Order: sequence, then C-alpha cells, then structure tokens
Amino acid sequence: MLRIEGLSAGYSAKPVLNDVSINVGAGQFVAIVGPNGAGKTTLFKTISGIVKPSGGEITFDGIDLLAVPPPQRAHLGIAHVPEGRQVFPSLTVMENLEMGAMTESGRRDWQANIERIFEWLPVLKERRNQFAGTMSGGQQQMLAIGRGLASSPKLLMLDEPSMGLAPSTADFIFERLIDIRRQSGLTMLLVEQRVAEALESADHGYVLEAGHVVLEGNNDTLRADDRVRKAYLGM
Amino acid sequence: MEGFFQALAAGLLIGAVYGLMCVGLGLIFGVMRVINFAHGDFMMLGMYAAFYLFTAAGIQALFGNTVGPFVAILLAGPVLAVFGYFVHLALISRVSGTRTASLEGEGHYAQLILTLGIALILQNGGLIVFGSVLASIRTPLSSSAWELVPFFDISIFLNKARSIDAIVSLAIMILLSLLITRTRIGKSLRAAADNPTAATYMGIDVDRAHRIAFALGCGITAIAGGLLATNYPFHPFVGLEYVIVMYAGVVLGGMGSIIGAFWGGMTIGLVQQMSTLILPTQLQNAAIFAVFLLIIFFRPQGFFGRMVERT
Repeated sequence: MLRIEGLSAGYSAKPVLNDVSINVGAGQFVAIVGPNGAGKTTLFKTISGIVKPSGGEITFDGIDLLAVPPPQRAHLGIAHVPEGRQVFPSLTVMENLEMGAMTESGRRDWQANIERIFEWLPVLKERRNQFAGTMSGGQQQMLAIGRGLASSPKLLMLDEPSMGLAPSTADFIFERLIDIRRQSGLTMLLVEQRVAEALESADHGYVLEAGHVVLEGNNDTLRADDRVRKAYLGM
Repeated sequence: MEGFFQALAAGLLIGAVYGLMCVGLGLIFGVMRVINFAHGDFMMLGMYAAFYLFTAAGIQALFGNTVGPFVAILLAGPVLAVFGYFVHLALISRVSGTRTASLEGEGHYAQLILTLGIALILQNGGLIVFGSVLASIRTPLSSSAWELVPFFDISIFLNKARSIDAIVSLAIMILLSLLITRTRIGKSLRAAADNPTAATYMGIDVDRAHRIAFALGCGITAIAGGLLATNYPFHPFVGLEYVIVMYAGVVLGGMGSIIGAFWGGMTIGLVQQMSTLILPTQLQNAAIFAVFLLIIFFRPQGFFGRMVERT
C-alpha cells in the first residue's frame, strides 16, 4: 500500500534520512523503532509533505505521493497522528474530531465512525464539549488518535503515541490501538521508542538509526537479533 | 445625568461599528498571524467603493437617498472581499502561510514591509484616482434623530443613521460568529489558526484558509468603513486615522480572539464618547490610549486573550 524507495530528506544540506526504503502492505501493522534523532518523525513529515525530500520515491496505492500537494494527501486516505499530539487547543473535542473528518470518506462515514471512536475511546464522548487544550496529555493523545480515525483512513500513521505519558497511560493507549486494529483491520504504521511493545504487536519492523534502515524483519527475526536485544530490549 | 446617558448611547452606537471594524483586522491576525498595516487603507477603499456604488452605479436611482447608501455599503463588502482575495493571492501569500518556514523571522519582516508598501500605494493611488476633496455618504437619516425616554425625566437622542449603522454592525457580527463557530469552513479557519501543520495533516489547505480569512476580513472592515462614512467625511488618507484604533481594539480584545476584537472596538467607542463628559473633545484620542494602557497594564493578554502556550 505504501512504498518508500531510496528516500533521502532533511532540513539542510546534511540529510536526516539517507536512502530509506520501507514497505507497508495492505492490512499490515508495521513498526519503525530507533533512538531519538534517527529520523523517524522526519520520515512521517516527508510522507505528509511538510518536509520536502531530496531524493527517492513514495507511492501510496499506486499514486506518486510526492506529486500530490500536502493538504491533498489526507484526502487520499493517509491519517497522520503527529508527534506531541498537536490537537487544536481552542477547538472542542467534537470539533477536533470533525476536523479529522474533513476528507470525503470521513464526511460520508461520520455517523458510523463517531460511534466506533466513542466506543473505543469513551473518554472522548464524556468530554466532547471540552476544549482540547484543557485536557491531560493522555486524553489529548486519545483525541489525536480519534481525530485520525475520523477521516476513515486507509493508512493510520502514529508518531510516538506514548511520548510524555505515564507508563500506565501509554500501556492503555497501546492496548486500545491493538483492539482498534483487530476490530477494524486498519493498516497501521507506527513509530515508537517503546521498542518491546511496538515489536510485540507488529507484523513487520524496521530499525532506523542515524537516518538508515539498519535492520528489518518480522517480529521474531528482530527480537532474535542480538543488537536489538542488547540495545532496545535490555536482554 | 442626561449627558451621561447621551454619551453612553452615542458610545454604544459608534462602538458597535468600531467593533465590526476591529473584527475584520482581528480575523486576519487571528487566523494568519500577519500584521496588516494596510488594513486602514482597505477600509478607505471600502468607503470609496460604497460611495461610487451609491452615486455612480445606479443604486441611488434605484433605492433612493435613504435606503440606497446602506445597500451600497453592504455591497462594498463583497467588492473589497474580492479585492482582498486577489491581494492575498498575488502578494500576501508569498510571505505568509506555508511559505514562512523558508523566510527570515518566520516571514514577519517581509510581511511588515509588504503591508506598509501596500498601504502607501493605496493611499497615494487613492489620491490620484479619488482626489483630495472630502467625500461622504450622507443620508437624510444622518441629520435626524429618534428621541428615547428611558426614564421619566431623561430623554436621549439617537442619530438615526448611527443607530442603523450599529444595528447593521451587530447583525454582521452575529452572522460572522455563526460562520466561525458553526460551519465547517469556520471551524477549519480556527483549526488552521491553532496549528497550521496539524491542519495540513487533516487535509485543510492552510493557504486557502488564509485567503478566505483575508478576504472576509477586508470585506467586513469595508462595510464598517462604509457605515462610518454615513457620519464622517473621508479622504484617501483616512485609513491612518483608523488603523491605530483598529490595532488598539484587537489588542484590547486579546490578540487572536476574533470575538474579543469586537469588544475591544466597543470599549474604544465607549471611552471615546464618554471622555467628552470630562475632557475637551481634542483629548478624545488621548483618553482612548490612556484607558488602553491602563487595561493592558492590568490585563496584558486583553479581555479574551489566553496566556497559554501554543502547541
């Protein structure tokens, strides 16, 4: 569904991403793990069009994504749940969800989507008239995920949903994501620093270090790899 | 006592129009974070647009001297909105919105120079095209009044034109706040203001949202300008007199708050009229800024401004 081929990108002459190739098949749950500064967020920003690549290709559903203007990419079915949540603070929870549903499919499926989102993340229903800026970090993260789901995406991209959250909250959000995936069969691309949890539930994983994909494989291969065990799993 | 109520009424009437004028600027600043120095001059164009629509475009013949001016003023709004739309498309969008990432100081320096340049061109261009003679859109209503008797021994005179100006301002304000709070397009403007990057992730075209905000802001201020012109004569440099008041109103209301800008403008109208009770008329504007500084001293974020970190 999403094919990234030899992608290089960055903010100045020195690239943050160097010849990165990643493949996400329809229905797959793919995790990208790696340390801070590896280029994980830059990769997502390049997919969404906020960062311009200096080389390489991205195709989504057979469409050359780099030729599509950034605001149009959401309309193709890519939902980006950004790092640090980035909800709209002066909009209510409900209005944030409506912003997620700006896409044609999001508008069409609004009723069904909102019911499912409230079922998965009941706190959003309780607080639907509250301003997003006044909610806790965990609640904002759930809103960011709900906002992504409201667009009826084909691909849900999650950038460190556990960032800055209490471990128990992060665990809860992970469980919810796994439930959502099991019930909806949605294709997901996850970037995460919590390597053990990310690899456990993913079909396929990539290890990104200093802008390079240093390792890839399914969850057993990665977890059996000595470097991953030492560096990320603490074994 | 009668003088007090008379000044209060006059302040509320002019305050509503000032409020509308400030909202136009507040909308542009709130959504785009662009300081538009040319906004007073867009208002000047609105005044002339209303003037020529009334006198030269046949509205006077069609609607007469009483209703005609207000029809022309309302039509000046869309005219200036279209003008603002193209000014944004051709000029402002080059130094704002998604382009700011690649500009020094997030594009603020370029925006400053550009809007100042537009202001100069509009003022001097106006002088060439419209001439330096004072113009006005007076109606028979401008020189007649309704007498109001709220208490048994007090009577207040409400200038008819100013009363209608205030009613029109309030009606447009209500329509605008419905647009901003209830409609999909209004919500997407607020989302683009809150977080342009996240708005792009939602599929909102931020540059297009800015263009809509700029056009709307120009149209609204043009209508406010036309309404003011029913009582105050104007000339090509009239924008300078009002742009400071507009900024004071926007700051008082709270930078970024669109509804706040209305109350900021209202406050300025009230202070201006009430100050005549104790100060000579020449000090009206000094009084506005004395009160402005006082309010900002105690509430630096303005009435509706929030001191929160923008995420």
